[in-house]
Amino acid sequence: MRSDEEIIKEYLAGDDESLKTLIDKYTSSIYNFSARFVGVDNAKDITQDVFLKVWRNIKKFDSDKASFKTWIFRIARNTITDFLRKKKSVNFSSLDTEEGTFEENIPDEIILQDEIFSKLEDVEMLNKILDKIPINYREILVLYYQEDMTFKEIGGMLGKPLNTVKSYHHRALILLKGEIAPKL
Amino acid sequence: MEQNLQNLFKQAMHQPGSRLSGDIFSLIEYKKAKIIKVKKFGYLGLSILSLSGSVFSIWGLIEQSTQLGFFKYLSLAFSDGGIIATYWKEYTLSLVDSLPVASLGMSLFLLFILFISIRGISYQFKNKILIA
Repeated sequence: MRSDEEIIKEYLAGDDESLKTLIDKYTSSIYNFSARFVGVDNAKDITQDVFLKVWRNIKKFDSDKASFKTWIFRIARNTITDFLRKKKSVNFSSLDTEEGTFEENIPDEIILQDEIFSKLEDVEMLNKILDKIPINYREILVLYYQEDMTFKEIGGMLGKPLNTVKSYHHRALILLKGEIAPKL
Repeated sequence: MEQNLQNLFKQAMHQPGSRLSGDIFSLIEYKKAKIIKVKKFGYLGLSILSLSGSVFSIWGLIEQSTQLGFFKYLSLAFSDGGIIATYWKEYTLSLVDSLPVASLGMSLFLLFILFISIRGISYQFKNKILIA
């Protein structure tokens, strides 16, 4: 199976079908990521914008700096931020300086062992709960649990240190737990 | 537990319509074709301008060269090679002196623009063929 970097090289060498391969591979992920922040109604437009930006800037992509996955998600994040800014909604960075008021010393494994998570079985319920979680934390959950990105990749995408990403993930789990509890 | 949470998150993913990736590819192809069209007309306009400019410029270059006697000096090289071999320094100076430098520079510049624009047109046509 060809890597993303090989596919890009083939596209730049004149093989237009390679771009189609990349689009097919990432459309679902970018659509889902966008829908989490701008809603399903706007996700299609955002996804199109993201791929147009990818196409326009593909010559600038440098595989030494980041993987294609990290790069495309960074483009998606910037596109979503621009969209939310135009709509005057809260953007990703507005919560970056938020101070922690959570149970910082409890390891993730302990939080995840909580019975509350075992009772979370309903997809619709999860979607509603995710919508209530601040976008900074929602973003970490989506990238980690839905897009299978590692903390390192997420850090590379957000331009944040590994420990900050882990801390955000930790807070996100606590927030998730806090949102689930009243519904059970 | 993390695995269960991951599975649930995966199930909760928003799925796009099956045509979205095809639509995106078509949109990119459309935008690409539009850019090619604009560039093609741009290069075509530039080549027409530079071609007509080159014709006038070369015409002026020939006229000025004739007035300054460049061709007379040049013909000497073919008629009497011995004199030129003896007085080559003077001959070269006279030849250079009779050359309309500004007109020559302008003609070469316009020919260069013409070459660039023709190359641009052929590149855009090649792109168009690739898309088709």
